[in-house]
Formats: sequence, C-alpha cells, structure tokens
Amino acid sequence: MGQIEVHDLCKTFKVAEREGGLGAAMRSLLFRKHRQVHAVDHISLDIKAGEVVGFLGPNGAGKTTTLKMLSGLLHPTAGEATVLGHVPWRRESAYLRRISMVMGQRSQLNWDLPAMDSFLVHLAVYNVEKAAGRAALDELVELLSIGGVLKKQVRTLSLGERMKCEICVSLLHSPSVLFLDEPTLGLDLTMQDRIRDFIREYNRHHGATIILTSHYMADVTALCKRIVVIDHGRILFDGPLADLSARLAPFKIISIDLQDDVDGYAFERMGEVVAHEGRKVTLRVGKEDAAAVTSRLLADLAVQDVTIQDPPIEDVIRQVFASGRGTHP
Amino acid sequence: MKALVRALPALLSQSLATMFQYRGEIILWAVWGVVYPAVSMAMWAVAVKGAPGGEQIGGYAPRDFAAYFWLTMVVGHVCTAWDVYELGWQIQTGRMSPRLLRPMLPVWQHVADNVAYKLVSLAVLVPIWLLIVVVSRPNFDTGLHELLLAIPAVTLAAIINFVWCYNLAMAAFWVTRMEAIGQAWFGAGLFFGGRLAPLSIMPEPLQTIASALPFKYVIWYPCELLMGRLSPRAMTGEMLNQVVWVVVGLVVFHVVWRAGVKRYSAVGA
Repeated sequence: MGQIEVHDLCKTFKVAEREGGLGAAMRSLLFRKHRQVHAVDHISLDIKAGEVVGFLGPNGAGKTTTLKMLSGLLHPTAGEATVLGHVPWRRESAYLRRISMVMGQRSQLNWDLPAMDSFLVHLAVYNVEKAAGRAALDELVELLSIGGVLKKQVRTLSLGERMKCEICVSLLHSPSVLFLDEPTLGLDLTMQDRIRDFIREYNRHHGATIILTSHYMADVTALCKRIVVIDHGRILFDGPLADLSARLAPFKIISIDLQDDVDGYAFERMGEVVAHEGRKVTLRVGKEDAAAVTSRLLADLAVQDVTIQDPPIEDVIRQVFASGRGTHP
Repeated sequence: MKALVRALPALLSQSLATMFQYRGEIILWAVWGVVYPAVSMAMWAVAVKGAPGGEQIGGYAPRDFAAYFWLTMVVGHVCTAWDVYELGWQIQTGRMSPRLLRPMLPVWQHVADNVAYKLVSLAVLVPIWLLIVVVSRPNFDTGLHELLLAIPAVTLAAIINFVWCYNLAMAAFWVTRMEAIGQAWFGAGLFFGGRLAPLSIMPEPLQTIASALPFKYVIWYPCELLMGRLSPRAMTGEMLNQVVWVVVGLVVFHVVWRAGVKRYSAVGA
C-alpha cells in the first residue's frame, strides 16, 4: 500500500474564450463562450514512502495541477486520492502539518522582513516544539548554507538565496511528504546542483517522500529513480528512469569517427543521419538493426572509433511529447 | 486551539514588524481616515448655522455634531477592514496558495494584519484626535454605564465589519474583479453607517433600510451609545442586533469559505 495513492484523478477547468477584436468583445457581453480544459485526465499513481518521483512534462501538461490537488490546494473534478491516509482536499490540519510544498513561483516568505522572521512564524504556526524547532532550523541553515542571509530582508536576497530560504521554511516542520514544484527554476547551474544535493540528502536523512516537477532534465536524472511523464493531463510513462529509453525509444545512436574523408557513401541508407561533420557521423538506427548496421559500417569504411549508445534522455522525452505516445510499466 | 494560541502572537508580531517597514504609507492611510469625518464635522457645523433658528438640526447642535463625527473617526478606525481588496487580490492572483498550505485558516493572518495596522497607526492618530477635540470642543454626555457598554459594542462592531467585509471579499472565488464590489461596500458603509450624517436625522425609509444592513451597527450605534443619546432599551436592543450580525456573519463565513476554497484555482502557483 502506497503513501500516495491516486485513482482516476481528473481536473477540468472551464475557460472563457473569444476571438480577438472589439466586435468579439461586444458579442461576448451577451454570448460568452467557454471551453473545458482537461488539465488532469484520469491519472493513477501509487507512490511508496521514501520514494523520490519526478514529474516530467511540457508547459500545461498537468504536472503542477496534480501537485496542487495532492497538496490540497485544488479540488479535483473527479477521482480519488489519499496522501498519508488523508484526502488532501479536505485540508485537515493533521494532514497539512505533515506535508509541504515548495513553489518556485510563489513565496512563503514575508518579503518585507528578514527570512528569520518567517522561519519563527512558521515554527509557531506549525506548533513545532521549541527545542525541535531550534534543532531543525540549525540543521537546515547549515545544510543550505544560509547562515549569512538570515538577517537580510527577503526582497534583497538573490534568487538562489531566496530559493534556499523557501526550501528551509518549507522543511522546518519536518514534513513526511514534500511537493517540489520547479524548485530550481531560474537558478544558475551551481545553485541548481546545490539544491539537488540538498534534496537528495534530505530524502536520505529523513526518508521523506518527494514528488518533484521540473523543466530541467538534470533535476530529474540526478534525484529520481522513478519518473512520471505527463502530457495533456495523461500519464505517458510511469516507471524507472532506466526503463524510459528502453520502452519509449526503440533505437540506438551510433557514432563513428572515420580515418579518412568519405564522399558519396550513402549513410542515409544505414539509418537516420543525426549529424555529419567532417569525419564524424552520428546515426539513429532501430535497436534490432544496430548490430547489423555497425558491422556494415566497419566492413565498408575505415573506422577509427565507434560507439553505440542509448539516446540522450532529453531526446527520448522530446520524442514522447512529439508523438504523444506512452506506456506504463 | 493550542496551536492557534501560539501562532496568533507570532503572526501579530510579524504583522507589526511589516507595518513598521511601511511607516509612510501607514501615516497616509491613517490620516485619510480622519479626513471624511473632519469634513463632515465642518459641513454640518456650517449647515446648523444656516438652519432655521441657527442652533441645531434634528437635535444636534454644532458641538454635538463635533462629538458625533469625532467618535466616527475613532470608532471607524477601530472597525476598519480592507479585506475586500486584500483578500480579493490574493485569491485572484494565486497569492493565497502559500497561506492555504498552512494548517490554520488564512483569516487569522488577516486578523493579525488588521490589528497590527490599527495599533501602529494609533501613534499618528491619537495626537490628531486630541487636536481635533481641542479645536472642535465636542459635547459628550457619556456616563460610566455607556463607557462600559461601549467596550463590547465597539468590539462587536469591529468584528461585524471585519467578518462581513471578509465574507464579501470571498466573492473573489467566483468573480475576477473586486474593485467595484469594494467601492459599493464602502459607499454603502458611508451612507448607511451614519458616517455622512447621524442616521436619526435621515429620512425614515433610509433609517429602515439602514436597520437591515450591518453598517449601522458598526458606526452609528457605538457612536450614539458613547454620546449618551440612547435609551437603556435601545442600548441593549442594538447590542443584541450586533450579536445577531456577528453570529450570522460567522455562519456565512463558514459556508462561503468551504464553497470558495473548492473553487479556488490557485492561478500561477
């Protein structure tokens, strides 16, 4: 039995729409048109305690809407879900005390005051016992290296400093389930790495269940053994990261370095030519043809080096979104 | 409940600290709250001079008007609430989301902000209020009985205004623009609350309408009580009406909040 169980969860928004222009604006006074947008469309999940699951998908795929429903911010249109044994959208105090959500685009901090003030209010609101609160604060401040910014007004912090403070305030009450919505959005590469290291360490140390959404593939590959690919509100893939390529990308990437320049060789007959620059050629071929194509290339050409790889995860995801196909494990 | 008892002082402390960051804005808002009653006070003083006999209108002499409008300043400050704009903005922009994630109702944060503003702005308002007393020489006929009754009356008035303003603000769960609704609310409050003129000198039909709205119990009743112009029966009768408005307001809050949160779309969060 999972810590997060989701069955056929749906969220449909009613969106007003009209053509551009004054005439359409006037017509909309009397005849308003609406469209149903299925932001989340019958998704089901079962996530066990301590798992770190990455939600991947393009803008508008339904990742954040799913997180909002699981955190109790949104009521679903249909379906069921329990997190830690609670129905999230009932918003019971006992539930909200055990979860946290970090939103890259929404601040939990008071921008007019030093971050420390927000931390103290958070500990009081969550009724964290004083000694435990102090210990959690000390630990998080050290892990996140934010000792030097606690007295600075939040609005004067850099994006990276602020995001670390957002994560700190979200974790002060030691949540069992953590929803991270774009936690590295807009951060530079170094800061992204630091945030990832921290999340990994927090999961390892506290055994918290974490659901992470991100546009950055590196977030997901660094942190999540399991990924859920969502597009148009539907789950296209749910399984181990390692299986994604195997299931969704039935091709290999063959890269060859030639000893001499070759003119007139029909690489396109071997497979899809991804790149051909000088003596370097990269081909995408079907998995079942990879061995035969490699043999043929080695026989036909003077090859200095050859590598056969699974396609980059970014390419696989891009291809999944482009084709709209998916699979469950 | 225990958690709330611990959280409220922390929220109030944070709200006070935030208010201190915006001293200039607080001063301007506080002074603006004095302008309406001060203008009304001056206008009615002039009107009395032009009235037949030149001594009073509807039982109010110039110094009675001074007392009445001075009290509307003080009571108006204690009872002020602006959540029809603030809460509306937070709902429409998705800024409510972080507060909804907390294990306590967001209204407590708004209560803390409301109390903090009133406390901080007293530093500016008390000297202004005293100055107006010196200049206008208001005529109070207030006994100890009225003073003691005024404590629950003004407290209930503040709760009525806050709760009903909040209830109205929750319309933002259903509508996108709250400015017009807010203006209508404040306009009705000016008129039917007795901020422009004591209700007792307004035409009978308007008094009847005012009795069916909450504004009368926010401004007019506490002010008349403190002026010593109400009969013992009216004092207790109107206070009972205040209690009814509070109870109904809290029930409406409970129902509308539950329905509104279901509709919350957490825009952009």
